[in-house]
Amino acid sequence: MISRRNLLKVSGAAAISASLRALAQDVGKPDYALDIAAVTLDLSPRHKLRTIAYNGQVPGPLLRLKEGQPVTIEVTNHTDSPEVVHWHGLFLPPVVDGSLEEGTPPIAPNATVRLTFIPRPAGFRWYHTHTMAMGDLTRAQYGGQHGFLMIEPRENPGRYDQEFFLALHDWGGRLLANEDGAMNPSYDLATINGRMMGAGEPLRVKQGQRVLLHVLNSSPTEVHWIALAGHNLRVVALDGNPVPSSRVLPMLRLAPAERVCAVVEMNNPGVWTLGEVRKHVQASGMGIVVEYSDQAGRPQWQQPSDLVWNYEQFAGTSPGDESTESPIIVPLVIESKFRGHGAMESWTINGRSYPATGVAPLKHGRRYRLQFINRSNDDHPLHLHRHSFELRDLGAPLNGPQNAARKGIRGIIKDVVLVDSHTQTEVDFTADNPGATLFHCHQQNHMDLGFMMLLNYA
Amino acid sequence: MPERLSVWGPCLILLGLTVLPALAHAQGNYEIQVYGSDTVPPKTLMVELHSNFTFEGQNEVIDGVYPTTHQLHETLELTQGINSWSEVGFYVFTNEQNGYGVQWVGDHIRPRVRAPDSWGWPVGASLSMEIGYQRAVYSPDTWTWEIRPIIDKAVGRWYFAVNLALERTLHGPDVNQGLAFAPSAKISYDFTRVVSGGLEYYADYGPLDGFVAVHNQQQQIFAVTDLNVSPLWEINIGVGIGATASTDHLIFKCILGRRFDWGRHSPVD
Repeated sequence: MISRRNLLKVSGAAAISASLRALAQDVGKPDYALDIAAVTLDLSPRHKLRTIAYNGQVPGPLLRLKEGQPVTIEVTNHTDSPEVVHWHGLFLPPVVDGSLEEGTPPIAPNATVRLTFIPRPAGFRWYHTHTMAMGDLTRAQYGGQHGFLMIEPRENPGRYDQEFFLALHDWGGRLLANEDGAMNPSYDLATINGRMMGAGEPLRVKQGQRVLLHVLNSSPTEVHWIALAGHNLRVVALDGNPVPSSRVLPMLRLAPAERVCAVVEMNNPGVWTLGEVRKHVQASGMGIVVEYSDQAGRPQWQQPSDLVWNYEQFAGTSPGDESTESPIIVPLVIESKFRGHGAMESWTINGRSYPATGVAPLKHGRRYRLQFINRSNDDHPLHLHRHSFELRDLGAPLNGPQNAARKGIRGIIKDVVLVDSHTQTEVDFTADNPGATLFHCHQQNHMDLGFMMLLNYA
Repeated sequence: MPERLSVWGPCLILLGLTVLPALAHAQGNYEIQVYGSDTVPPKTLMVELHSNFTFEGQNEVIDGVYPTTHQLHETLELTQGINSWSEVGFYVFTNEQNGYGVQWVGDHIRPRVRAPDSWGWPVGASLSMEIGYQRAVYSPDTWTWEIRPIIDKAVGRWYFAVNLALERTLHGPDVNQGLAFAPSAKISYDFTRVVSGGLEYYADYGPLDGFVAVHNQQQQIFAVTDLNVSPLWEINIGVGIGATASTDHLIFKCILGRRFDWGRHSPVD
């Protein structure tokens, strides 16, 4: 087994070498520049808070990249702590992927680095800090360091008249006791694109338009449910990847780090609320006004009576990968460790917390099946860096009738999957992007407290 | 071994602090509980049964008050959550004792408010007011009023709570006494997710403007365990000793509580 110390030596050396190469290549003007700095954010006229953001705005600037066309991004860290930017959902080398655990060099305080990479695959991605917050519920993903990343395909991306990018976020976290006997973050305020309901500019639309919504849940810990009153949403992509079966739905569910692309036919003139379905979350600010041209008045909301969502409705009949070999099974048992009623739980994968989780050695080119066996009382949004995976079996109860499981799902490609408490979910991926690869829960407090593991192959 | 010391070190300090002030007086012992700051959620009813048995207490009838030795106190406490930061509690006190049978002792009502979570205080804080009646054969002071500031904090496996209660007799021999200081405190440690153990301290120092002599004070300390078997249940068991002349000397206590959620909850609430 590779020790953490040895791992850091190896990955650090590789990182320095690669970053020097990148610096030598990039002496011209970068394609984009990101400045990481503190900013005072006006969530509403009555709610201001100090946070860290990219280019003084939340979300950070929308970066539009071309699939396969190299891009250079200059990142300057104006804070007093080391930073790292993760390019979420991209197939990048570890040295630029944006994970210290994989070997990406940190960006020192007041330092500037240039990152050059080839963006792929096409689709709706995002970028965010990949630092630790530990007990500070204002840092890392609890703050404002997130932005949209759109990788345009070489071909026409699709038919729509207008598109909007929407980021769901929670703010003002504090630890409160929850029913499972431990502390968990709870939030006072919630926003869409950094503004509470009514505080930002409305989404202005015209009757007859096809509007494409790119929705990102950038929340540090919370799952969100989103609906647009008076309209249905046709889901066309999950995590930036087209779904085999598009569905028209009354609402979307997004776990932390998940993205959903949905088309809305603007066929119901008026002023509407696009917001969180759960009343208390919408009341804390998570909403935005959708305003047809020539319409005025208070935004209307139609309260759904239930929360409805599942992944399998988007499945197709064709596999998402042409591989015909049987995948190698990798069981990953997820459990919590009680640390007191006055503390957050820590987390283990196969009985160990990061960095003691070690490194799972893989073989290049092989197909793997990750079995997420969630024995904890929490649902977990699980993310695999630098790869996509195909959903296969979903929600098999660990202690219940197996007919509740949805087996044999095909064609849904994602990089985050929400695994319900006390269930087992299985995903397949091909080890086709060599190097250290981080697997972790995307809840900030969970990854802070041990819920990470490295996979690696040469 | 070092961890064992770290667990019990503060407990021993607290024990020392509580025993040193020495002792004496007579105590109700109907509801022996250090309050936490949390309130019962809205649309929820908390039903608690406090069962306290005095193995060794007062043996004589003094000033018409029954002896406490071998009294079994059963107290029914009903607490209804009003909103996310307030509740109202109602008590029915009873006593069972050889030669006296089962008797009603009295009733109290106790509204309570707490600092809402949105205030973001570093500690939990709440304030309860309790007013009620008890029969003179069980307490010479028949009508009493109490105001109780409550502060608590959970840090990792440790839990701390302090109740700085001030009591006032509205009818009875101590009506002219003014406010009396009756603090209580708790320290406990989570051995597991289910089992916590610690110490609870209860005292009555007498009037604020002049504490009574130590042997007339009430000073009790309980070794307790809390069993967190379910969010719906509250179980607290303890054995207490009173070291002063006016404190019951050996008491067993048990609190069994069950939450009843009678609200209709929608997944979209």
